[in-house]
Amino acid sequence: MSTLLQQLANGVVQGALIALIALGYTMVYGIIQLINFAHGEVFMVGAYGGLATYTWLVPEAVKDVWYVSLPLVLLGGVAISVVVALLMERFAYRPLRNAPRLAPLITALGVSVFLQEFVRNFYPNATAALPFPGAFVQGQLSLGPIKISWTGVLLIFVSIILSLLLQTYINRSRMGRAMRATAQDPDTAKLMGVNPDRVIVLTFVLGAALAGVAGVLFGTYYTNINTDMGFQTGIFAFTAAVLGGVGSIRGAVVGAFIIGLVKTLAGQYMPGGTSYDYVWIFVVLILVLVFRPQGLFGEPERVRA
Amino acid sequence: MSKIANTVKPFARPLAVVGGVLLIVAALLPWVTFSLNSGNYPDRATLQYFDAPFGVTGFRWHILLLGVLVLIATFAPIPNKGRVIRSLGWGGLAVALINSVFIVAEGGGLGAITAADGSSAFGGVVGVVAGIAVILAGTGLGIEPPTKWKLTLSTPLAYLVLLVTFAAVLVAVSATLTAGGQGGPANPYAGGLFLSFLGFAAGLLTALNGVGLVGWISELSEKHRIFSVVVLLACALLLPFTGAGSEYWMTVAANIGIYAATAIGLNIVVGLAGLLDLGYVAFMGIGAVVAANLSGAAASKIGLDLPFPVAAVIAAIIAGIFGAIVGSPTLRVRGDYLAIVTLAFGEIFTRSAQNNIGGLTNGANAIPGVPPLDLFGKEFNQSLSIGSVQLPAGVLYYVLIVLLVAGVMAIFANLKFSRIGRAWIAIREDEDAARAMGIKTGKAKILAFLVGATLAGLAGAVFAHKNGTVSYESFKFLESVTLLAAVILGGMGSIPGAVLGASLLFVLPEKLREFSDYRLMIFGLALVLIMRFRPQGLVPDRHRRAELADEDVGGVPVDEVHEHDTKGAKA
Repeated sequence: MSTLLQQLANGVVQGALIALIALGYTMVYGIIQLINFAHGEVFMVGAYGGLATYTWLVPEAVKDVWYVSLPLVLLGGVAISVVVALLMERFAYRPLRNAPRLAPLITALGVSVFLQEFVRNFYPNATAALPFPGAFVQGQLSLGPIKISWTGVLLIFVSIILSLLLQTYINRSRMGRAMRATAQDPDTAKLMGVNPDRVIVLTFVLGAALAGVAGVLFGTYYTNINTDMGFQTGIFAFTAAVLGGVGSIRGAVVGAFIIGLVKTLAGQYMPGGTSYDYVWIFVVLILVLVFRPQGLFGEPERVRA
Repeated sequence: MSKIANTVKPFARPLAVVGGVLLIVAALLPWVTFSLNSGNYPDRATLQYFDAPFGVTGFRWHILLLGVLVLIATFAPIPNKGRVIRSLGWGGLAVALINSVFIVAEGGGLGAITAADGSSAFGGVVGVVAGIAVILAGTGLGIEPPTKWKLTLSTPLAYLVLLVTFAAVLVAVSATLTAGGQGGPANPYAGGLFLSFLGFAAGLLTALNGVGLVGWISELSEKHRIFSVVVLLACALLLPFTGAGSEYWMTVAANIGIYAATAIGLNIVVGLAGLLDLGYVAFMGIGAVVAANLSGAAASKIGLDLPFPVAAVIAAIIAGIFGAIVGSPTLRVRGDYLAIVTLAFGEIFTRSAQNNIGGLTNGANAIPGVPPLDLFGKEFNQSLSIGSVQLPAGVLYYVLIVLLVAGVMAIFANLKFSRIGRAWIAIREDEDAARAMGIKTGKAKILAFLVGATLAGLAGAVFAHKNGTVSYESFKFLESVTLLAAVILGGMGSIPGAVLGASLLFVLPEKLREFSDYRLMIFGLALVLIMRFRPQGLVPDRHRRAELADEDVGGVPVDEVHEHDTKGAKA
């Protein structure tokens, strides 16, 4: 029983991480119907940006003072992620706005491979996994038999707060309304005075900022990062977005927690253990796509694939 | 571009002459100073750049040839002068630029291409300037679509022309394959010399295309299709007798062949039916694993040792069954979602193989010791002698793979123009309309997956025997992307395109060994650039060309769409 509870807790932490990334996928897909394969790489770049900030920019004196260093590291990670996403949108995706659907998808694959290899080649010593500073309160929170490290608690907390903020922003603000309008019908939105370029850029920026936060928190939680982390976690996040219904913020978050739980529980209880947890996630993905392609919270007509 | 063209127009001819002369001058100048940061002339005397500092060989001979051709093209009464001259200019620029970059990178900094020690090694600089001048001159002379020849030949004469052409192709392929020699630390300039040769060849080829020769020949070979196919096959089988007939080149050629066959299979799924498959290489992996297990590999738990044809057929069938299974979600899932399903399947295969599922794949240790092929009492990894000619080891594999590629091509060509092929193309264009026209779309799509997977399984079986080991590492997601890139680079739905794309993507890493760290980075960048600047690929399929062209085709016949395009752009 205590194993089950512990695995459930681990699953929730994983889910919180995946949710932050899944939001980026779901927003971009909702607006321009592009599976942004490179979004996982934006997350990875954020982690490396955070590490670089910690290594070279955070003064030696405050490195151990988490309430100073962690915000700085988060800021650095988010900045790098956002810059990369902006460059990507401007130079890779925007020229292909009206191209056949295959073209941007393949471009996204290319960007993903490029970013991964770029970091691996040019970040010092990035050919192997790099240690990430545990820039937060050390130790664990004990709730009866369950133990969660404080970084895990932070991850859950940040993830939920940010998703709620995002949800509010999209539902209440002027730009949020423009985003929803563009997602529904880009041409009509344009006629109503929405600038689609601005909306798309904003979507990429919001997604990248969340991915940057996720990258830094991933680093503090696992205490090491590598260049492959983006692809794998990105696929999990995409699965979560599909599971929840692409385009739906609430769906992405719920989907992410389900995926996190599937991963940890399958690793514990399914035959093959943790070496097959990956496989079970894909099985879930395939089953969802086949039996409920609109996802848990998606509306059937939203699926325009 | 047209602004530049108008500015240059009045001096286009003199500029072409100047450019041509400069190219010749560049060929005669030395290209490297003798004292370099990393050693003097005698220490690096093995490099081609130093073999004959004043002799015109290798790439300098190519530059000289291009210069002379520019001069001839300027004064001779040929059609489409501008396009021809511009193509030659691109060739010259590519050769000069690539060699200069390599000399600078490997030969000790910018000093290597200047007059650092008194020997004025300005060859590279002059070559680049000349190339740019010629391109400008060509643009100024006006770019027209490639000329169409009206000339028709009697059958024997046509046969003769085709025979000569294909012989030339054979020589060119052999020269391209061996250009620059074997890559690696012992030969750091291999990649540079290879790329430089590629630039030269592409420049010449696009110039010939501009004159209309390429179009005419391909029309001629369409007309005499059977003869062309036979001669081409014969040419492919004659490759071991040319300069490429060593064990190393035969291995490289055989590997290219395996990937080319797989790429053609993928072309059925992606190019014809328009179903994006991101896990295609998994089918090849399944074929390889099945064949390895059935052929008495040391690690096989099954303990069977079936003859190759039986094992290969079983491998293909099992891969095909998996293809149909993976294809079945197509009944409900479309577009990007389907791509994700295939990606998920590919990842499931990789993960399972890595964890040695069912004891079949031997996990991270790979399956070693798959026995070499043994047909007609001949071990395929032995050398072969025909009469007095001794052929290197690996030739038999090469022959087998040429036949495999030929077979796959035949299947592709026949499917494409059959009822099911037309159904696939209809589905690709508009699935709902296709269904309204009475096509059973579900059946057709599953069939596309099944056929593609079967071919991949067959290729995988050959791969297992040829390489002797089967590791999940060879069938990862990146390999699927590489195959997809080969199909796209060549041009979706086009057979020569798939072969060309596979050749380029698998020869370049072989040649550019010293850049292996940056290989994938360049590859990713290349994908982005292709999609941006030439989404229809190098050898576009005719129907596809119309589709990817701009919305407004403006009544131009399908064949001519995009002929206006920048043919000069280099690979």
